[in-house]
Amino acid sequence: MTIQVTQSVNPDPFAAATDIATSFSGLKPVAVIFFASSCYDPTNISQAMKEKFPDATVFGCSTSGELISGKMLKHSVVAMALESDVIADIAADVIDISDRKSPSRAIIGLAEKLGSKPLDLDPDKYVGIILIDGLSCAEEQVMEKIGDMVNISVIGGSAGDDLAFKKTWVYLDGKAYDNSAILVLIKPKSRFDLIKTQSFSRMNKILTPTLVDEASRKVMEFNDIPAVTAYAEAIGVDEKDVASYFMTHPVALFAGEEPFVRSPQRIDERSIYFYCQIRKGVDLEVLSSTDIVTDTNIAIKTIEKKNGPIKGLINFNCILRTLQLDKEKKNDEYGAIFQNIPTIGFSTYGEEYIGHMNQTATMLLFF
Amino acid sequence: MTGTIRQLIDNLIEERAHGNPSLESTTRTKLLLKGIDSGKYSLSSEDDPEVIEKIKQIAKDMNIKLKV
Repeated sequence: MTIQVTQSVNPDPFAAATDIATSFSGLKPVAVIFFASSCYDPTNISQAMKEKFPDATVFGCSTSGELISGKMLKHSVVAMALESDVIADIAADVIDISDRKSPSRAIIGLAEKLGSKPLDLDPDKYVGIILIDGLSCAEEQVMEKIGDMVNISVIGGSAGDDLAFKKTWVYLDGKAYDNSAILVLIKPKSRFDLIKTQSFSRMNKILTPTLVDEASRKVMEFNDIPAVTAYAEAIGVDEKDVASYFMTHPVALFAGEEPFVRSPQRIDERSIYFYCQIRKGVDLEVLSSTDIVTDTNIAIKTIEKKNGPIKGLINFNCILRTLQLDKEKKNDEYGAIFQNIPTIGFSTYGEEYIGHMNQTATMLLFF
Repeated sequence: MTGTIRQLIDNLIEERAHGNPSLESTTRTKLLLKGIDSGKYSLSSEDDPEVIEKIKQIAKDMNIKLKV
């Protein structure tokens, strides 16, 4: 099976694409996935990558840090080439976030290209990858629409811009798009599986959102009292200090035992803005952080035990996890987990799997 | 009246998953992320018109014709 990964730190997008093409020489990839720091001009990097692989579906996005087998990087381009012994079929399209009907049009069109209707796509045979503008605040609506129409798993991440929070980009076949998502449906030839991992324990404290502005991801009240007060009480700290606990104590929806993490972003008077939409009346549990490296190692070992050696891995790793790893000086340890696995990934502004979430790594793996 | 919410949720999941446990679980998660916590409702739960309407809208969005 041919899955190869490579990287370039050459700051010139055309030279970086040449480095990548040289590394992939001799391959005839069906798909090339690339994640590029926002230091690369979006139009040029997308054009350069497509020029090097004209026969492949070439897609990617801007990042807030990159990941390749063994290393976490900054200001680089990482790429993965997948040949026809890995991918039986592939179809990709752009979703215009400003157009409410664009997701359904894209899904119907992509399924048609694969000879199917959206709902008939077999979850055991097909998987979707989504890369979405990380500043659009539209991940929930796009993922919900996709989830309405298909039963297959769709996994991915929100594009980044090296923490500038100004503009993020998604790329498809030589063009760069903002306020958009790239949806790619793949029929792998090999077995595939997914990992969704987050490093938290439950504190057994419930916060029920009782007054929210869902569209702006703002919670005014939990448990019928001001959000900041309720959150401070739940984690046992002074209200004035709560912001410094946001990274280590996010909240989560629980689907059975499976958490869907929602990270607090900032305080506005006594309200809290989140990086994810919060639904009124749906209970959230307060979390306490555990060790990312340990938990990721366990997730990788568990899936290897189930499926055998991993032949390729795409990691959509939350920027907040990357910042925590930075703070704990564990970037090298985290990168080392993927040392012997052909891996690319990036630090995201949000992760996608069934819905939108934070402080999570979602991964697509080929076996 | 009680129980309508539970019946609607069960019917929606049945229509979408056709008995496939994995799809049942995914559909429950999709409902949760849309604001309907299926674990909160039993046949003795009061019928809340707002929640009932929300489930009907979700079913419509999923192109499911509920039989309840």
